[in-house]
Amino acid sequence: MNPARITGALRSPVTFSVLAGVVIGALFLVGTGADPITAYEAVLTGALGADGIGSTLTTTTSVLGMGLALAIPLRARLINLGGDGQMVLGGITAAVTGLYAPLPAPLTVVLALVAGMVAGAAYAALAALCENHLGVPLLVSSLLLSYPAVSLASYLARYPLKEPGSSLPQTRAIPDGVALPAFGDSTVTVGLVLVALAAAAYWFTDRRTAIGYEIRMTGLNARFSAYAGVERRGLTLKLMSVSGALAGLVGAIGVLSFPYRFVDGSLTAPGYTWTGLTAALLAMAAPVGTVISSFFFAVLQVGGLAMERTTEVPRELTQVLQAIVIVFLAARLRFPGRRLNRRKEAV
Amino acid sequence: MTPPQADVDGGAGPADVAVELRGITKRFPGTLANDAVDLTVRRGEIHALMGENGAGKSTLMSVLYGMERADAGTVRIDGRDTDFASPADAMAAGLGMVHQSFKLFDSLTVAENVVYAAEPRRFGLVDRAAARRRVRELAEQHGLFVDPDARVGDLPVGLRQRVEILKLLHRGARTLILDEPTAVLTPAEADALFAVLKSLAAEGRTVILVTHKLREVLEGSDHVTVLRDGRVVARLVTAKTSADAIAAAMTGRAVQLDRIHAPGTPGEVVLDTTGLSTDAVHDITLSVRAGEIVGIAGVAGNGQSELIEALAGLRPVTAGRVTLKDDDITHASATERRLKGLAYVPEDRHAVGTAPAASVADNLAMGHHRTSLSHRGLLPPTSVRAHARRLIERFGIKASTPDVPASALSGGNLQKLLIGRELAHDAPLLLVEQPTRGVDIGAIQNIHDQLIAYRDAGHAVLLVSAELSEIRGLADRVLVMYEGRITATYDKTEADERTLGLAMAGGTSARVEAAD
Repeated sequence: MNPARITGALRSPVTFSVLAGVVIGALFLVGTGADPITAYEAVLTGALGADGIGSTLTTTTSVLGMGLALAIPLRARLINLGGDGQMVLGGITAAVTGLYAPLPAPLTVVLALVAGMVAGAAYAALAALCENHLGVPLLVSSLLLSYPAVSLASYLARYPLKEPGSSLPQTRAIPDGVALPAFGDSTVTVGLVLVALAAAAYWFTDRRTAIGYEIRMTGLNARFSAYAGVERRGLTLKLMSVSGALAGLVGAIGVLSFPYRFVDGSLTAPGYTWTGLTAALLAMAAPVGTVISSFFFAVLQVGGLAMERTTEVPRELTQVLQAIVIVFLAARLRFPGRRLNRRKEAV
Repeated sequence: MTPPQADVDGGAGPADVAVELRGITKRFPGTLANDAVDLTVRRGEIHALMGENGAGKSTLMSVLYGMERADAGTVRIDGRDTDFASPADAMAAGLGMVHQSFKLFDSLTVAENVVYAAEPRRFGLVDRAAARRRVRELAEQHGLFVDPDARVGDLPVGLRQRVEILKLLHRGARTLILDEPTAVLTPAEADALFAVLKSLAAEGRTVILVTHKLREVLEGSDHVTVLRDGRVVARLVTAKTSADAIAAAMTGRAVQLDRIHAPGTPGEVVLDTTGLSTDAVHDITLSVRAGEIVGIAGVAGNGQSELIEALAGLRPVTAGRVTLKDDDITHASATERRLKGLAYVPEDRHAVGTAPAASVADNLAMGHHRTSLSHRGLLPPTSVRAHARRLIERFGIKASTPDVPASALSGGNLQKLLIGRELAHDAPLLLVEQPTRGVDIGAIQNIHDQLIAYRDAGHAVLLVSAELSEIRGLADRVLVMYEGRITATYDKTEADERTLGLAMAGGTSARVEAAD
C-alpha cells in the first residue's frame, strides 16, 4: 500500500464512523460511571485473548458468512433482507438430511451442507422471482418471505422433528460423526474454512471475472449496465441464489457443529443476519472489507460478553457502538450526493 | 489572448449602466471559476455572455443572482452597490432569471404560475380574476400571448418559456437573465423569442443572454462578453464581429464552424425498419446503408429517444419489423443486438452512457468485457487497463490515468470516452444521440471527424440531433420526426435550415414517404 492509499483509508468515512462509535461509546461509559479504557481493554482481551479467540472465530464464521451473503447482492445495489429465513431453512434442511440420510457419515455431512445451501438458494430465488415477475420490490419480498420460513422451521422443531422427552424446542441430535471436523478441541470447525473460501471466491469473481465486472457496474449505475445489455432480472436471480446459498450454508454449519441439532431460535437469536448486513454496508460490499468488518463485529460481539463478565458494563454497550457506526455510515450515504449536486450547479 | 477590441464599456456613464460586476473572483475546491471578472451591461441592451463549458458563465450569473457569494469583487445594480444573500434579494433589486430547466408548477395554470409568490390579493385572499387580468395585460403589452387558464403541464416548451418570462415581468424585473434559452426551442420559436427580447430591450429593459450558440448571438445581441477559463478574454460589439472571431475567443484558437462534410458512398442496407411502433413512436419505416449517415432532426421530445431505444433493444417494439444485416432483430435483447453488430451512444452520458463513479478503465471496458477483453468468463484487470490506455491514446481522451473516476473528466472528454468506446466495437451499425450536446467547440470538431471517419470506413450511422448545423454538416440524408412520426425526408442538398426548421415545427413538407 502506498502512502496516498493509506491517508485515503484514514480519511475515509468508514474510519471516521468507527472512531466516532468508539469515542461516543466512551462517553456513554463515562456517563454510566465506568472507566472506558478498562471496558475497551476487556472487550479486546475477552475477544482476542486465549480464552476468547476460539469463540470469536466461531462467531466470525457466522457473521462473515452472513456478511458475504448480504454483500454479494449489495454489490449490485440489491438488498436481501431475508437472510434469517434462508439461514434457518438451510439449518433445518441440514438437520433433516443429517438425521435421515442413509449414507456414511462423511458423505452425509457433505450432503447436508449442499442440501442446506440449495434450500437457502431456492428460497432466496423465490424472492428474486417475486421482484422479477410480480414487481414486488426485493427489499419487501425477501423480508416478508423470511417470516414464514422461520415459522416453518420452528414448527418442525417443535412438533414433527421434536426430540422425544425433551422440554426444549429442538430436534434430535444428528448421529455421531455427522459433524464438521473441529480444530483441536475448540468450537472452531471446518465451517470457518468454507466461509473463508467463499470470501476468496467472491474476491476473485469481483476483481477478475466478467460477471463480477457486470455486478460492480450494475451497483454503480444500473441504467448504464442495462444499456450495455446486462440483463437485470437474470442478474438478480443469480445474485439472490448465491446469497441464499451462503445464508443456507451458515445455517447448515450451525447445525453440523455444536449443538449438533436444530434448536429453534438458536440461529436467529444472535442476530448474525443484521450484524452481517452492517458489516457488508460498512465495507460497501467490497470483498476484503467485508472480511475485515465481519471480524470487527465478531470481536465486538464476543468481547462485549467478556466485558460484561469482568467489568459490570452491560454488553448492550457493544450494540450501542454498532448502532452509532451505522448511523454515521447512513449519514455518509447521503452526503456525497448532495455535494455532487452543488458542484454541478456551481460550474 | 488579450481582448481583441478596445473596452467598449469605457464610454458608459453610471446612469445608463444596469449591471456592473467588478473584479468578481470565485474559487471552488480545485478550480478558480471566476478570476477578477468585469462585466458591464448597459440599460436597454441585449448582452450575450459566452464561453465553453466550465468557462465560468454559470458561476458569474450565480454570483449576480445571489445564489453564490463571490470571494472578491463588487456587484452594482443601477449604480448601487449590492450584496445579495439570496435570489429573493436579487429579485427585489429588479433582476430576474429564466433557468435552463424551468421552475414552474406543471399542475397549476399559467396565471397561477405567473403570480406565484406575488399574488394580487383581495380581502386577504388570492384574487384570481385579477391574476388572469394581469397575465392578459402583460401578454398583450409584450407580445407574449399565452392562455392564462391553460395548465402549464399541457403547454409546449416554447410557451412554458413565455410563462417564465411573464413571471419575471409580473414581478417588475428590469434586468432579465436567460440561461441557454433556445436549447429546447425550434428555430421558429427561437426567432419569436428574440423578437420578444428585442422589444423588451427597446422599452428599456436589459437582457443578459447566457449561451453558446453563435448564430443567435450574432442576430440578437448588442454586445458580447466572452469568458475562457474564468477570465474575460474578449468584449465585442456584435455588429463589428463575426462568428469565427467569437469562436476563436471562446476556444483560444481558430476553429472551422459548421463544416458541411462531403457525402459518403452508400453500400448495402444495414438497418431496415418497417412500420416500427413503440411508446410515442408510430409507424417508422427507414433504412440506413453502410457508408452513410442518416440524420434524424426534430425538437427534443418528438419520439427520437424512444425510437433509438427501441432500435437498441431497450424498449419493446409493439408493431413492425426491424432487421440488422437481414437478421430479424425485432424482439432481440440488447445483448443479442450488440453481438449482431450494433453500437450505441446514448443521449444522457451521465445517467446511461457511463457509470461516473467507476474508473475510466471500467467505463471503457463496458461491452468489450464479454468479447475481446475476456477469456472464458475471466476479465483480467491488466487487459482492462491496456484496453483503456489504447482507447485513451486513440481518441485523445484527457485522463491522467485509467484509474481516475469518469466523473473527474470534463463533459467533452466524457463524451469522447463514450464515443470512443462505442466506435471501438467496429459494429456495422452505430446509433448516436446528441453526440455534441454540452460539448466544447474544440471537442465537437473532433467528434464530428470521428463520426465521418467511421462512416467512410463503411459503417452505417443513425444520428439523432437537435442541432440543425450538426445534422446538416454530417448527414447524407435527413429525416424529420414530429410527434412520433417521420414527417419528411430530405437529401443532403435539399436540407437547408429553413426547410428543416419548418418541418421540425410540424409544418407540411414536400416529401413524406418511406426513407429509402
